[in-house]
Amino acid sequence: MGRLLQFAALAFALALAALPTVAGEREPGAKLKVVTTIPDLADIVREVGGERVEVTSIARGKENLHNVISRPSHLVALSKADILVQVGLSMEMGFIPALLEGCGNPQVRPGGKGFINASDGWQPIQVPAVLTRQGGDLHPQGNPHMNIDPRAGRHFALRIAEGLSVVAPEWKAEFETRRDAYLARLERAEKRWLEFAREWRGRKFVVYHQEFNYLAEVYGLQIVANLEVKPGIQPTPNHLAQVIETMKREQCTVIATALWSKNDFVARVAEATGAKVVELPNMCGGIAGTDSWIAMLDLVHARLAAAFGTPVPPVQ
Amino acid sequence: MNPTSAIRFAAALFLAPLALAQNDNPAAGKDNLPPPSNLVGPGPLTMPASQAAGQPNSQGTTFVTPGMPTLGRRVSSGQVTRFTNDFNPAFSFIIDATGQVSEAENGADGADVFLRTFEIGGNAWVDPNAWAYFTAVAEDEGIGVEEAAVHYTGFGNKNVVRAGRFFVDFGKQMQTHVHDLRTYERPLVLREYLGAELGGDGLQWDSWTTLGDATVVRWSLGAFASLLGEGDEDADPANTPFASVVEGTKREDDFSYTARLTGFTEVGERGTLQLGASARLLPSYELGLGLDAGAIGADLSNTVWGLDATYGWVGETGIDSWTFGGEMLFNTGDVGAELTGADDIYTVVDDSLTGFYAYGDYAWDRFNAVGAQFSSAEVVGDERSELEVYYTRLFSEFHRLRFVLGASDSDVDGSGSKFLVQYTTILGAHGHGVNW
Repeated sequence: MGRLLQFAALAFALALAALPTVAGEREPGAKLKVVTTIPDLADIVREVGGERVEVTSIARGKENLHNVISRPSHLVALSKADILVQVGLSMEMGFIPALLEGCGNPQVRPGGKGFINASDGWQPIQVPAVLTRQGGDLHPQGNPHMNIDPRAGRHFALRIAEGLSVVAPEWKAEFETRRDAYLARLERAEKRWLEFAREWRGRKFVVYHQEFNYLAEVYGLQIVANLEVKPGIQPTPNHLAQVIETMKREQCTVIATALWSKNDFVARVAEATGAKVVELPNMCGGIAGTDSWIAMLDLVHARLAAAFGTPVPPVQ
Repeated sequence: MNPTSAIRFAAALFLAPLALAQNDNPAAGKDNLPPPSNLVGPGPLTMPASQAAGQPNSQGTTFVTPGMPTLGRRVSSGQVTRFTNDFNPAFSFIIDATGQVSEAENGADGADVFLRTFEIGGNAWVDPNAWAYFTAVAEDEGIGVEEAAVHYTGFGNKNVVRAGRFFVDFGKQMQTHVHDLRTYERPLVLREYLGAELGGDGLQWDSWTTLGDATVVRWSLGAFASLLGEGDEDADPANTPFASVVEGTKREDDFSYTARLTGFTEVGERGTLQLGASARLLPSYELGLGLDAGAIGADLSNTVWGLDATYGWVGETGIDSWTFGGEMLFNTGDVGAELTGADDIYTVVDDSLTGFYAYGDYAWDRFNAVGAQFSSAEVVGDERSELEVYYTRLFSEFHRLRFVLGASDSDVDGSGSKFLVQYTTILGAHGHGVNW
């Protein structure tokens, strides 16, 4: 191949690369294409957006949220999305940065008008004072599992209504009306959950991963041990022995796990201590009857009440 | 300040402490859920937007698919962009050590312990449209720069141009640095046809598009000053007069090229399938026995074609997975040289050789995986094969132990076996540029 031909081929390739690729503008009146990282956010986007939105969730409900594996459909959905809603606080760091870089859609990247970081303005707990890998899989901005906090639905709804209105200001009033209706339903749900939790203060339980710490904080529950040595670090025999000893000493009889973490380590500790294992959803959709965020929190409260042996309020 | 403003200001001063006290009142949670302090209103970002998402994930750098670098893929934390100063590159240091016991019919027997790789890397955004990275490794006499490249993303939404020195986009295993491989060795056929590592100084254009809702197709074209693979450092030219140890040189005015087309789609609820075709073209090169020796042949050309397939299956919780992959390679044109005649003169061999590799990998959780990799290749004057069976244990995302049993066979050199322990640690935020 002659030198001229080689340079021509190179120049052609560069010219193709330089062709401007304009992201498709949303047609007036067209539904907003929204991608959320977890089903919880998808549910609340539907509540607030109603008929105006078409929602896809990347996670399906059963995954370890730090280990969601990207699929081609995620790349396609993000490349066509008007809006991305993520929890933030590094929860989705394992898959969202790569998808965002690969999808080629600047509108849904941080700084784009279609990027909604639903934890903005939230006061996270467990913000590490020192960032060292001795702490395991630390999240520098604090515990990201805020979606299991009974107060989170309200916060998400506010952030989502704001974000949808930025992209489709013509429907702002509609979004706000729907948001307010959702907040009213949430208020009723919150009262129900408080009834469940009336005798929970001081109750003790053990978790596998730090997914239920917001729940503990809200109701004054005590997490006496984590089965993981540190977040993201598998239990060692020595650590499990310490957990068993702690549970016996503290008379702790409940172990809370998510679907992904209901494993042999949990079974071993439960067997050694006689503790009940309660499987809790770490997001919507993973367990039957948890398709909506409110229904998921209902299930969380019902299962914890059953595990603690505390009264279940009558159905209203 | 007018009187109305003054009154408002004074009232605000007076009421502010009361408002704060109201927020701090523990009784507030008695009949209502206690509010987080910033529950209402658009509070400040809890982290810089650039850190919230969107920066290259240093463990994969770009979108990765099954069969790509495993270290850091199964376990992905939020630690890779934790630097408080965004303007600082994220640096990493890799220590990859090996203990080995080997036995060979014609070759070295015995035990050894050695540092296989010490790598220094860095990556950072250059500006809103470009990010760059470098990878340097310790060599016997200093530091060698394996990769130093810039990814420019400003041309359009789905176009990336990479410029500098980097590993070429060929199949799914050639871009990977050795410490990131799923098992100890890169597949034999890749080492024989393309080199132990295949990096070049050049330019690559990369683009992709969607086909339906669950399929993406990507293609790339690359032009490089040189793409002659790195040879086997342990081989002895005096004893092994075959292509893998004959050094190639390029003519000054010729480029080498790469091309790749790949499709990635979903198979059922849990599976994905990636198919790809790759080519490396050397339109004109010379073969020699080093810089001081004369050329064996000039105006030679060589093309290596590859067809690859990878199937990935991930369990519903995302922590257990199966991966099966393989690639068929065709090495055509001037494939090397062999000694011929009574005077043992090197003669260029124009031939068409084929080889392949296949592997299967099962990870039952985020920390444990087993697998096997088999590769076979026709080379000039020989036919070789290699099998590795491994168990990989990740203590964390940055800390890995691997046990490998390997067996090799060669028509010329006979068979051999080895047992390896590979211990790898990552300090800092590890990152390479890779194409899916």
